[in-house]
Amino acid sequence: LKPLSHYGPVTSLKVFQNYVLAGYGPILKVFEVVNNETQLISSQQLFKRNKIHHICISQSGDKVCISGSRSFRVLSLVDTLNNTPSLEEKAINEWITCCEFLDDNTLLILNSHNTVYTVDVSSKASQFILSDKVHCNEKSILYSGSIRLLDDGRVLIAAGTVMNGVIIWDYLTKRIIYNFTEHEGSIFGVQIDSTGKFMISCSDDRSVKLYDLQNGKILANGWGHGSRIWNLRFFKDQSNGLRIMSTGEDCTIRLWRYEPGHDLIQVELLENAHLGKHIWSGDIDDEHLKLFVSGGADGKVRVHDLIGRNNVQEFSLETISAKIGKEFHTKENIKQYSELPHLNLLIIITSHGSIIQYNQLSNEFTLLELTPEESAKFYDFSIMKSLCEINVILIACRNGDILQLRFEGNATQPQRSWIEESQLGNSKLTNLLVASSNSSHYSLTDCPNTKVPFILRKYSDSGVETSFLQQPQQTSFTTTDMTIDSTNSWLILGSRYVSLAIYDISNESDQVTIFKKLSQGDTITSVSIVRSQKNLLTVLLTVRDGVYLYVNISKIDGEFQYEIIHENKLSRGFIEGGFVQNNQLILYGFKSSYFYLWNESKQIEIYNEICGGAHRQWEFFRQDFNSKFIYINKSTLCIKTFNARFVKDFGVINPGTHGREIRSVCISPEAKNGSRLILTASEDTTVKLGKLHSNGSVESYWSLNHHVSGMQTIKFFNQTYAASSAANEEFFIWKFSELDAIPIVIEYSRLKPSADIPDLRIMDFDAFEYENGFIITTVYSDSTIKVWYFDISEKRFFLIIEDRYTTCCILNVNFLFLNNRVLLQIGATDGHLSIWDITNKVATGGEVKSLDEMIIKQQLHQNGIKAILPVKQAGSYEIITGGDDNALILSTLAFDQEKLKLEVKSFIEKAASSTITSISSSGDAKFLVTSVDQIVRCWSYKNYELSCESARYTTIADTGCSDSVIDDGQVILAIGGAGLSTWKLA
Amino acid sequence: MGKSSKDKRDIYYRRAKEEGWRARSAFKLLQLNEEFQIFKGVKRVVDLCAAPGSWSQVLSRELFQNQKQEDAKIVAVDLQPMTPIDGVTCIQADITHPKTLHKILDTFGGEPADFVCSDGAPDVTGLHDLDEYIQAQLILSALQLTTCILKPGGTFVAKIFRGRDIDLLYSQLSYLFERVVCAKPRSSRGTSLEAFIVCLGYKPSKNWEPKLELNKSTEEFFEGAGIGKSDNLEHLDFPVDEGRTIGTFLATGDLNDVDSDATY
Ligand SMILES: C[S@@+](CC[C@H](N)C(=O)[O-])C[C@H]1O[C@@H](n2cnc3c(N)ncnc32)[C@H](O)[C@@H]1O
Repeated sequence: LKPLSHYGPVTSLKVFQNYVLAGYGPILKVFEVVNNETQLISSQQLFKRNKIHHICISQSGDKVCISGSRSFRVLSLVDTLNNTPSLEEKAINEWITCCEFLDDNTLLILNSHNTVYTVDVSSKASQFILSDKVHCNEKSILYSGSIRLLDDGRVLIAAGTVMNGVIIWDYLTKRIIYNFTEHEGSIFGVQIDSTGKFMISCSDDRSVKLYDLQNGKILANGWGHGSRIWNLRFFKDQSNGLRIMSTGEDCTIRLWRYEPGHDLIQVELLENAHLGKHIWSGDIDDEHLKLFVSGGADGKVRVHDLIGRNNVQEFSLETISAKIGKEFHTKENIKQYSELPHLNLLIIITSHGSIIQYNQLSNEFTLLELTPEESAKFYDFSIMKSLCEINVILIACRNGDILQLRFEGNATQPQRSWIEESQLGNSKLTNLLVASSNSSHYSLTDCPNTKVPFILRKYSDSGVETSFLQQPQQTSFTTTDMTIDSTNSWLILGSRYVSLAIYDISNESDQVTIFKKLSQGDTITSVSIVRSQKNLLTVLLTVRDGVYLYVNISKIDGEFQYEIIHENKLSRGFIEGGFVQNNQLILYGFKSSYFYLWNESKQIEIYNEICGGAHRQWEFFRQDFNSKFIYINKSTLCIKTFNARFVKDFGVINPGTHGREIRSVCISPEAKNGSRLILTASEDTTVKLGKLHSNGSVESYWSLNHHVSGMQTIKFFNQTYAASSAANEEFFIWKFSELDAIPIVIEYSRLKPSADIPDLRIMDFDAFEYENGFIITTVYSDSTIKVWYFDISEKRFFLIIEDRYTTCCILNVNFLFLNNRVLLQIGATDGHLSIWDITNKVATGGEVKSLDEMIIKQQLHQNGIKAILPVKQAGSYEIITGGDDNALILSTLAFDQEKLKLEVKSFIEKAASSTITSISSSGDAKFLVTSVDQIVRCWSYKNYELSCESARYTTIADTGCSDSVIDDGQVILAIGGAGLSTWKLA
Repeated sequence: MGKSSKDKRDIYYRRAKEEGWRARSAFKLLQLNEEFQIFKGVKRVVDLCAAPGSWSQVLSRELFQNQKQEDAKIVAVDLQPMTPIDGVTCIQADITHPKTLHKILDTFGGEPADFVCSDGAPDVTGLHDLDEYIQAQLILSALQLTTCILKPGGTFVAKIFRGRDIDLLYSQLSYLFERVVCAKPRSSRGTSLEAFIVCLGYKPSKNWEPKLELNKSTEEFFEGAGIGKSDNLEHLDFPVDEGRTIGTFLATGDLNDVDSDATY
């Protein structure tokens, strides 16, 4: 069994010179940062079983020590970078809290009982010598600690204890200097700054505390974290005062500033910096690389730029008024703004029709020349849009007239021209939309009178062409966004109630096509093109209340058709828009009081801005990887600029997986171009869809948020359909397809719960293809068994069997096929395996039947049967079961003259030292077993005699589930738990 | 043990309310007793990590009411304060601190105990290895006290989580007891890794005298105890073959008893 890939909690991080060192469980990964680009240069498993919780580097920079649990290992930095680790893994007999080099030859190890080992590590032959053990006479258990070497030769130990206290003691004198007891609960992080004058600590009580080590006084508290805080760092540069970084259980990273006399001031907050729970590790280099890094339970390592942060410019009305030398009317305020990025211009219009140009390079505000009559047309109503590519601004007024402003490079004043609207009659304009496709630029005028057509204008250097589009004959077709596809000349309008209108603008006589209510939800907030091919357009629709869709549009026999090929819901807030960039889906919107920009593919927040919420004037502009979020707050114009420094994957230097434990994993039955689909279902209730490549790496594409309860099982039915089950009787069927080699998915159907307030868990399910769909069985935590016929085209479930086992919880279910019969087999918490014959009850509908008398009921395990693998043979099955009782059993199942018989052939009482959690097939008479003792065992059987062929430790804690596939005779195994790992069986 | 709304629906939770137990954990001790008759011949008991106190309730009811032993003694210890229980001496302290163990020894006034139990569980962080280490420290602290106070032949019961190093613990305990069993009561959820290590027939180590000293860590305490706990090796080498034994597993409680994993 050979490990291929591992994704799991990032337990330690260290920035040194141009490198980021990451303790990735037992693996040390080194990334190099050069010119804002990062690259993985080395990755090696350096501990057999233990995780790297701490990394330190000697002052000369020659040596590195990694440590964690009882293990430590001293390496030369050069060897580490070259992937040639020198000395071997060492250990002490207690938990190591941290290590520090006294010099290149001497290592100090602080253990969890507050004792420091002095170790001579000079031997090249790895013959380390424990030369001293030093303690301060206070040996309570430590959760955290650090060692600081000072310029004056002193060595200070900061020890964070399990209850309330931080002990500061001197390594040389062995004296306790301070015992700080201001915290409540365990201390999870403690650091002394490089001068030895300050100490910071964090704990259970959600506070960061800063102490003065010269007088033992507490200087400040930092409040803000919503739960426990795990990690703290001082900034190195203290010339502008003390600054601190903290990370914690609430998945935030916070940067703090200390000002004497005040509590710590939070200067930066990165929310949702990682998925799920816990940012375990972080480090900062504010002097050289000017970045900070964070590592989460989600297995991601992220680098964050430290220079370009917090760049919000603010301009009050008074400031603008002074700059343009014009008094504003007392009630005048900023109505809208648009950007012309090529010219670095921001154009602003006020409620009284003043138009101002702000040059973002020269920082100059200029008032544009308008006649009083012109300004008056925009009194209290204007809609401004920009055609960025041709540097044109369009401003529509209520009667539909449009002021066109053409800007040139150097000229301070644009060319002005008016487009007078004659079509609206007495109606008023309600919306002006713009769209560009290739080199054509359009505007669309919308008015509420359905008799008045939409007015479509095409702008070019030679002038404006006008055409008309019949309005959808529907009272409430409110336009919200527009896009134009140049390949097919189709114009698509988004509206409320997730409705679309489509026009073929190459064909004037073509009628409008309307698709209503494409999904649940409210307003389509944006429509954009994902892919455009001849007669096949894929658009992205974002819906305000959180749904986003990929929709295929095509024209068949002159009729437009649509198909939703991908659908998901964001659980993080409202979506105001989105786009696809470099094959990654980026969404933006609001959540309570802030605006966010979110990379849905990478599952990271790119940034957020606390602006007071969505109820204000705001605009979002983007240019490649840079963007601006402009908003009005208390009548002040605020411009948030974001320039991405690490553009590759937005600074995610190591990909990860779920932020919580993985409860179920499955791999698709077929491979395509060397990869298969992989689905994982996690404690955090999300389902992830990714690709499992033949080298064992897992590439994650989507996180599906449809489930809201604790996940139980996920399985493929075939290459196109899979299902997942959870608590609250959630059972969903998923359908997969592909878009340019990216897997996409929709929730195809869901089973209606049997109760209004469902509280049963659907523990497991199984299915086989039948007629136009599947026969599916679902088993429940209250002992209920149900069998359904699911019709694919009707997307409907028909209940065909319902019955109950006993009162105990059923853990798993399988359909078996023997002698032309269909058998239903369950394993339950009472350790029994039970089987029914349901051959005569399989149907596409009809009356709901009960089960007959069970034909097998046999106790195999002492309690819960946690895993079952049925292996089909000619005329019989081999049934392998693993239990909570550590036992593994091989039985055979066959008909003996019409009577089904289950016979135990081999019983291994102590097959694992803890609960067996999964069994996966690995071909002929061989299978793989995982258990909570973190050992993967490969078992084989000959003449029904089980024997353990090999056992390997897995780095995934809480080992809970697995699935395997066989490709060209090679077995690939995926194991889920607190992380995900993949293996190859040679 | 999370106190999610699920607990509320649990049959054992309801039954505990009806029968006047402070926590559903009471059934775990009762079901362990059904299997091992651990209360037989017991007069002096230490209940570690006892809050809110359902095990102490069970013990108090058993020793004073059922067995009518007026001179029985029960000492309960926890970090958390505990509402008093008839005949139970409550101490609020950290059991991993040597001072606490001294205090317990003092309360017994030099007399040995017949039964030591610990149902302790730390607040988990989510870092599995750290959580397992802290849990192991709780068990070792309880064992430390046990070696100082338990009479030969006495019983020790402790809550364990069956993680990756559980085989090390089985192996170490086997040196000190006649019989070591990993028991899972039906009232403990199958979905949780919780189980109980039941150690019967204490046989003190012959060449080793347990000595509680204030500034010795648990590891230092057990040095030389000959229970296969590895000391620091020469050159601090990584121990390759540590004593690991897979313990005997026993599900306790009647299979027809209520299933704690079921929902109704
Ligand atoms: C599961 S509860 C015990 C329930 C108890 N047996 C009952 O039946 O009511 C676990 C207890 O362990 C306690 N505990 C955890 N660490 C401790 C320590 N170091 N010292 C003392 N008690 C501790 C907790 O305070 C908690 O009350």
